[in-house]
Amino acid sequence: MYTMGIDVGSSSSKAVILRDGSEVVAEAVVQAGTGSSGPGRVLEEIAARSGLKVQDMAFILATGYGRSNLPMADKQMSEITCHAKGVFFEEPTARTIIDIGGQDVKAIALTDQGTIRQFYMNDKCAAGTGRFLEVMSRVLEVGLDEMAGYHFRSQHPASVSSTCTVFAESEVISLLSQGMAKEDIIAGVHFSVAAKACALAQRVGVRESVVLTGGVGQNSGVADAIQKELGQQILVARDPQLTGALGAALLAYEEQIRKEKSA
Amino acid sequence: MEQNVKTLLEQFRTIAANPKKAVEDHKAETGKGAIGMMPVYAPEEMVHATGFLPVGLWGGNRPVSKARTYLPPFACSIMQQVMELECDGAYDILDAVVFSVPCDTLKCMSQKWKGSAPALVFTHPQNRGLEAANRFLEHEYAVLQEKLEEVTGVKVTNVALEQSIQVYNENRAVMREFAKLAAEYPQVISAVDRHAVFKARMFMEKSRHTALVRELMEAVRASDPQPWMGKKVVVTGILVEPDGLLSLFDELGLAIVADDLAQESRQVRVDVPEGDEAPLYRLARVWQNMYGCPLATDTKKARGPMLQDMVRKTGADAVVVAMMKFCDPEEWDYPIYHRQFGEWGIRDLMIEVDQEAVSFEQARTRLQSLVETL
Repeated sequence: MYTMGIDVGSSSSKAVILRDGSEVVAEAVVQAGTGSSGPGRVLEEIAARSGLKVQDMAFILATGYGRSNLPMADKQMSEITCHAKGVFFEEPTARTIIDIGGQDVKAIALTDQGTIRQFYMNDKCAAGTGRFLEVMSRVLEVGLDEMAGYHFRSQHPASVSSTCTVFAESEVISLLSQGMAKEDIIAGVHFSVAAKACALAQRVGVRESVVLTGGVGQNSGVADAIQKELGQQILVARDPQLTGALGAALLAYEEQIRKEKSA
Repeated sequence: MEQNVKTLLEQFRTIAANPKKAVEDHKAETGKGAIGMMPVYAPEEMVHATGFLPVGLWGGNRPVSKARTYLPPFACSIMQQVMELECDGAYDILDAVVFSVPCDTLKCMSQKWKGSAPALVFTHPQNRGLEAANRFLEHEYAVLQEKLEEVTGVKVTNVALEQSIQVYNENRAVMREFAKLAAEYPQVISAVDRHAVFKARMFMEKSRHTALVRELMEAVRASDPQPWMGKKVVVTGILVEPDGLLSLFDELGLAIVADDLAQESRQVRVDVPEGDEAPLYRLARVWQNMYGCPLATDTKKARGPMLQDMVRKTGADAVVVAMMKFCDPEEWDYPIYHRQFGEWGIRDLMIEVDQEAVSFEQARTRLQSLVETL
């Protein structure tokens, strides 16, 4: 039996196909999110990779901000539930999840059984999210995928505000005009993201293992900053951008089994 | 009968959405005007005794622009909306505005009120344990009564005040009964409708509101309550608006089985005590009898146990904290009862309330996650 999880976020669309709720058949990511061509393209991409069509899926479960706009989905669930499912599947020691996406930061506390005990989300503010990093990347003229390299070369990380993306952007421009090294500014930006995320994590109560997920988890500089901010080791999900879609595919399998049992 | 319920609920929705019409109708019918009642607690009975219509001023749902000139960005959402409405002249149809000042923002708003309707300000005592505090508030009410008499040109007699107290106590009792009924019939009374019944209370003469609520309850009771397949929640905070936010509760199958909202059940929690004392003194005693609201000093912080009791009695699955944006009294209470909930095994979820909001995706994600994990 094939099930698909599709996670349409604010900046990207992700899909995962599972066989019998345990084996990953195919994965796909398109860097375009809800309201764009992203959802359609990610479906084409995963079909090409797996050789499977939407009609081959026993159950499709959608998540992410665009979850309500996918007519082919049998059900939609929140990304909090899906990330928790995906992380615990891959890392059963996970008890705290920090999920940093395009426009959200979430901290999720798990029970020993992997169910959600508590969660917090950022308020309506882009500070500490992927969008914040995108803005900084543009100002600094450093690609998102290059930022981690700069981070690890920093000697004296700058102090960058974590309260507002626009103010932080002004601060970064000011630091650039003062001639500060990009390495130090970027490390400061990462610590700013970490401060925001860790404040949420502290609210749910940090228990080991801490797992970082969401698109920003691909940036090892942010992971390093979070470790330093928390004062403990953290794990990064195997493919942090795909964890939500993986969780959705797992939940799709459970839904289908439940459906078959009740039929 | 089902059609009757729908018609009545539609009537409440219409009234709740048209305060201006309520004022105009009252003027046309009685020849008397209207007095604005700012949040949170005021002796409305006193206004009722003049024959003027007390009108609750709990903000609105419009884009805030002019208010930004006069208010700091961290003033709560209700005050931003009230200031915007004031700037637009929406309150010019009122004869006066009664201000209680239980928080810093209200205190400052009362001092910079520039509308054509004068502000009639009174102060609740911080101390809620001393008899002298009752006497102080009685005196504040006497001053307020004089101001009201001046504005309305109506002498408030003790007989009229006693009658108004009776009307209000009756309305409060009916609304407490309605809240219980709404919990039994979530399929019939949606979260949006439940709110409309409470909100219409702010724009109607209270004996009429009581009669209409009774009519609604009778129509609802004509059918048997049905089992609820969704989840049940208690809601706490200042208010849950706009309707787009409340609609999420309905969409996600979350029945509001009790509320601790300042705009709703806190208004009907405490009756004016019976007795031989002067009506103004009895009105003043309400403040010391009030409980479970962060605006009324409570050294024992009984809100947590009160909410626990509400959860137990209603069988609620969780508490939803509707946190008014930038309401510091509510923010200060939260860590206390949130910790207590953890100890008692009560799930809770905080959502931000901003009356200006037009998009509710973050709240949807939070509420949906709560439903999925209960």
